[in-house]
Formats: sequence, C-alpha cells, structure tokens
Amino acid sequence: MSELGTKKSGGLSRRDFLKLMGAAGTGLAFAPFVPFGNYMPNPNQASLEKVPVILPDGTQANINTYPINHAEVITYPSTGDAALDAEAFRKWQFIRLPEELGGGKKDSNAIRAYSMICLHLWCLWKYWPDEGRKRGECPCHGSMYDPMTGTAFVGPASVQAAPSNTLPQLTLEIDSDGFVFILPPKFNANDNGVIGYGRFT
Amino acid sequence: MAVSLERRTGAVGFFYWLWDGVDRTIFTAIKFSFPARFVSPFGFLGMLTFSVFIILGVSGALLMFYYQPMLDRAWDSVQFINDEVPFGFHIRNIHYHGSNAMVLLAVLHMYYQYFSGRYKIRNEVLWMTGVILGVVTILEAFTGYDVIFSERAELAISIAASLTTSIPVVGPTIRDAALGSGFSDFVLRFYAQHVFLLPIVMLGLMAVHFPRFLVFDVPMVMAIGGAILITGGVFPIDMGFKFEPTVPPGVTVPEWYLTGIYAFMRTQYDKFVTGLLWPLLFIISLVLIPFIDRYKKFSWRDRPIITAFGITSLAQIMVTTYWGFYISPDVSVPLVERLVIDPIFFYSTMILMVPLGFGFTYMMIKLANEAERKSKLAKSTGPKKVATINLSEKWINWLLVALLAFQVFLNIAAYNAALIGMKNISLFFIGIILLVFAAFFHIYRYSLSQEKNAPPPPAPVQEEKPKLAEPDASIEQSKLLEGDSLPKGKPEPKELAPEVPIPKTQADLGVGANNNPNLGSGDLNKP
Repeated sequence: MSELGTKKSGGLSRRDFLKLMGAAGTGLAFAPFVPFGNYMPNPNQASLEKVPVILPDGTQANINTYPINHAEVITYPSTGDAALDAEAFRKWQFIRLPEELGGGKKDSNAIRAYSMICLHLWCLWKYWPDEGRKRGECPCHGSMYDPMTGTAFVGPASVQAAPSNTLPQLTLEIDSDGFVFILPPKFNANDNGVIGYGRFT
Repeated sequence: MAVSLERRTGAVGFFYWLWDGVDRTIFTAIKFSFPARFVSPFGFLGMLTFSVFIILGVSGALLMFYYQPMLDRAWDSVQFINDEVPFGFHIRNIHYHGSNAMVLLAVLHMYYQYFSGRYKIRNEVLWMTGVILGVVTILEAFTGYDVIFSERAELAISIAASLTTSIPVVGPTIRDAALGSGFSDFVLRFYAQHVFLLPIVMLGLMAVHFPRFLVFDVPMVMAIGGAILITGGVFPIDMGFKFEPTVPPGVTVPEWYLTGIYAFMRTQYDKFVTGLLWPLLFIISLVLIPFIDRYKKFSWRDRPIITAFGITSLAQIMVTTYWGFYISPDVSVPLVERLVIDPIFFYSTMILMVPLGFGFTYMMIKLANEAERKSKLAKSTGPKKVATINLSEKWINWLLVALLAFQVFLNIAAYNAALIGMKNISLFFIGIILLVFAAFFHIYRYSLSQEKNAPPPPAPVQEEKPKLAEPDASIEQSKLLEGDSLPKGKPEPKELAPEVPIPKTQADLGVGANNNPNLGSGDLNKP
C-alpha cells in the first residue's frame, strides 16, 4: 500500500475510508444502547389465572343470589395493588341478562363480562337496566352495546369494522354451588379479544 | 471513483445548513473546540462534569417513568426498576455511579483550578459560582440517594431534617418550608427538589459558570462514560433494606462525599456546629480564596502558602472521609464507643495536618523546582511534549479495522449477557465498548489529522522535463534567466526546474496525496 499510495486508482480515498470507519465505530459504540428501548414499556405484572368473580362488596358472585337484569364492576386481572387495580383497563361489566334474554337461567349463558373500555375512544361505558334501555351505553359519543353479544349496534363504535365493533369478553364458569369463576383468558382478537381494540364474534 | 463522502448533498447538506443556522443563535458565543489530538483532561474537567450531568439528566428522566415518590411505594418501585424492568438495572446503575462520578469530577475540577490559580484574572465570579455549584451538586446527590427510602436513606433524611432544625432562630421554619413535617412529606419534597428545583438551580448557576471557551474531547467523555458503566458492572449498587418503622435500622454510614461531615458529627459535639458550621466555614473560605490569594503568579509553586492550605484541606478531607467510614468491627465493644470519635484525638489530628501539609508543600515545591532545573539542563534530551502514534498508515488502518471487529464481538457479548440475565456483565461490556470507542476515536482523529497535516505531494518532476525542451518553454526560460541575471554559467535547464523539497515523512508514503478526482471540490474540503 505504501508504494501504491500516490498512484491509487479507483477504490476509496484514505479520507473517505477513515470517515466510513468513523461512522461504523460510532454506530457500534452506540448500538448497545438500542435495546435499552425495552425499558419503556411497563412489564406486565399480573398473571392470568382462573379466579373467582369478586363483587365490589368483597363477596364471590353466585348465580343463585345475583339479581337478574343487573350489572356490577369487577376487576381482572387483580394485582392486589389498589392503585393498579383502579385502572380502567382492568375493569369489566359483570352483567346478568334480563329475563327476556335468558337471564333467568342458572347456567353461564345468563351472565356476561365485557371490558368497560368503549371501542370508539376508550371512554367507560356501563349497563343500564332501565325498562326500554337494557343495553350498554357510552357517555362520550353514544355508542350502544348489545348485552347478549357485546356488539355495538348504534353510535360510532357500531360503524367500526370488525373486530372493533365487539367488546372483549371474559369466559365465565359456574360450579355446582352456583359460584362464578373467570377462566384464564387469551387476549387476542380471535379468542377473548383485545381490550380497547375488539373481538371477532 | 464515483462516490465521495466529500459532497454535501441531500441530508448532509441539510445538516450543514442547520449547523450554519446556529450562527444566528446564542450558541456561537460559546467557543467549542474539539481537540484533534490528545490534550490533558485536567484542563476540561469542568466539561467532563457537565457531560456526566447530561448523562444523569437522561438516566434520571428514564428512572422518573417508574419511580413513585411515596413513603410506602418508593423502595418497592426502585426494586421493580432494578429487578423487573428490562434494562432498569442498567439505567439505575448508570444514574447512581454517574452521581458519584459527577461529585468526584467536580471536586477534582475545583482542586485543579485551585492549584493552577485559574480563579485569578477576573475569574472570581466563575470560581464563586463554581463553589456554590459544587455544594448544590452534593445536595443533589444527597437528595438522590434518599428518595429510595431504604434504611440508610431514612437515617440520612432524619439527620438532614434535624440539622436543618438545629439552625438557630430560622431552622424550624426552613425545615417546615423546605422539607415538610414528616417522612411522607420528606420523600415527596426531596424528590421534587431532586428532579426539578436543584437541577434548575444548577442550570442557572452553570449559565454563569460556563467560560466562553469550552473543550469537548470526545474520547475522554466516552472514557468517563465507560468508566461509569464498568464501575456499575463491577460494583452494582444494591437495594439496601426497605425501611420498616417497627424494625430498628442497623449501623450505617452516608455516601463517601458526606462521611467527612459525618466524622465531625460523630465527635458528639453540638450538631449545628459540627454538621453545618464547620462545612459552612470550609465553603465560605473556598468562596473567598480569590480575594485572600494576593500572589501575582499562577503556578502552585509560586504560591506556597495558598498551595499549602490546599494540600492541608485535601489531607483533612481524606482523613475525615476515611474516619467517617470507619466503625470498629469489634461488636463486643458497646455501640456508643464504636460510633463516637474521641474529639481530642480527632481535632488533634486535624491540627497536625496543618504542619504536615505545609511541610509536604515545601518539599514538593523544592522537588519541582529541582526537576525543572534539571530538565532545563537536559532540554535536548527531555521528553517530547506531543504524543505521536508511530505507526504507518497501513497499520493504523488495520488497527482501526481490528478495533471495529472487537467492537462487534463486544456488542454481541453485551447483548447476549443482557439476554440471559447477567445484567452487571452486560453493563460491564457496554462500558468496555465505550472505552474501546474512546481509543478508536483517538486513533481515528490522529489519522485524520495526519492525513490533513501531511505535506503536499511532490510535483511530478519527470513530466516537466520534456516541457523544457519545447520551444515556448525555452523562451520563457531565457526570460527567466535574464530576470534572474545569473552569470554563474549554469545553462543546464535541468537545474532550473522548480526545486521540489524532498518530502521526508508521510508524503512519500502517499499520505496526503490529493486523490480526489472531483475537480473544484477543494472548497468542500473544510474539516
């Protein structure tokens, strides 16, 4: 190389070579900080297990005592940390259907648990048992949800393409004594749905 | 060659345009210099301190995303960062060891400026704001290690609050205003001061403290960063014990920059005097030193009294810092005897430091003057002032390639260590990566400057010879001869060929040859 130095033809000039090396060296020196980006998303702390449905009064829901055409707010997955459990993304509407929709039965067809996050803009909807309503209503933009299926039938959420027109749902199970349990869910669009995104029916 | 990195088109052109736009802003008032060769880091310790401040700002901002400044959550949230969050361990260790590095660099910076007399020549304001900045830095570090609310932090907060209360007359008011009334308040308020108030105060002081000429030495900044990460990898900071009000805390000492004050407090004398008055006296005497120092010269050798005081203070700081740490390990001795430092012994040692410091200074000045005299006698054989890398172009290139390959290996090693959960090994490797980059950059800039500074290549002599034989050239030559009026009788045209200095070093190796075929691109060759 030393002999050919002045007669170099083609290839990189020394200055360009050095600049490329400098760029590569800088890139390699800062590359190990790229995975530090994993620091930002908060790692999920709660594990998804089969747990009893605990009502706001602290008791376990029982199909024999839970009123027909009635809804309560339940927490899943519960962490035991009051601050984390207050999150809206852990809140579900636990509904016993009205009589005419089959709420009188003593099996798991009479009850539903839907995510409280409206699929439109993530406000919190709730179930209204009044005569003539008997549906989920979102206070922000008026989306209404069918308590049977969790699918929006009126309002902005209803015009969103599937799966974003159907609320995520928890799978419920009732034991021989009538106590209600939540089965471990799979939070993807084809199974229990994705909170705030939706579910394929 | 079709491709050249010299062109400023597209994105590069845009960035140069942005850079030129900075011309219209305040930033051009500050002269940044990026040294092209190794310079002693003592001259820019302040800039290094500021670089660590930036590192602390970034890592601290990241920690804020998870930290919860609540009495019963603070420790758990730090544990969550340390154990659960990906790379939380890294960020926390960088932040912790960065804080130690910043305090250490600030102290070194101060003492270097002290001994080299830089606070003279109208730099008094810079010096005084610097001392205050140093005090705020220590307060910042102190509030930082307290917001974890471990056992040690709880004790430190208690001491801070009781010291504040001990200030005569205004103490309790200051305590209530600045620290609140209980631990719940302390944690939240220390946090507010740690992440906002004190940094804002520091930035304000920095605006005054910054000189107009700043040296930003990339390899040294990277090396300091690497040193912080390596320290974190070798000595990862633990969690301490979570403070439980029902469990009495164990014996504990503060961080190393406060053990000096802690040693004074352990002499059992009044807490206001030992914990606040003595440190305050030290700080005030530092602030006033430019007005006490009436020497006309700068060098420490020419200011013996001031140097002696500096040496004495350094010795006292070292002794008290160690003494504050030291607690007799003999548990059969009652605790009070292990913790209490005999004040007569302690203060006698402090006073003994004064003649020792003066004697040491006298000896050092004698030795330095003698060394200077000798070096003047043997100036021709003295050490070279400028360090050079005695490697040929080829070997420097291969060295750069080898370092890059080593960087690739280290990157893989660091990522692999992080993947399999060896967090401190990964931190250690990333520190090594930064150190290797420091070395790489040093060689890179050296080689770049060699390329730039090399003498111009010799003009091709052989090609000019046939020109002289041509008729037009001979006319010119004859005119030249007349003008020169050389009657010496040297008609040989060969001798009249333009004399080319024989290149001695790099030029004959081809270094500095202008290989750029893009004619007219010389104006783009700005560094």
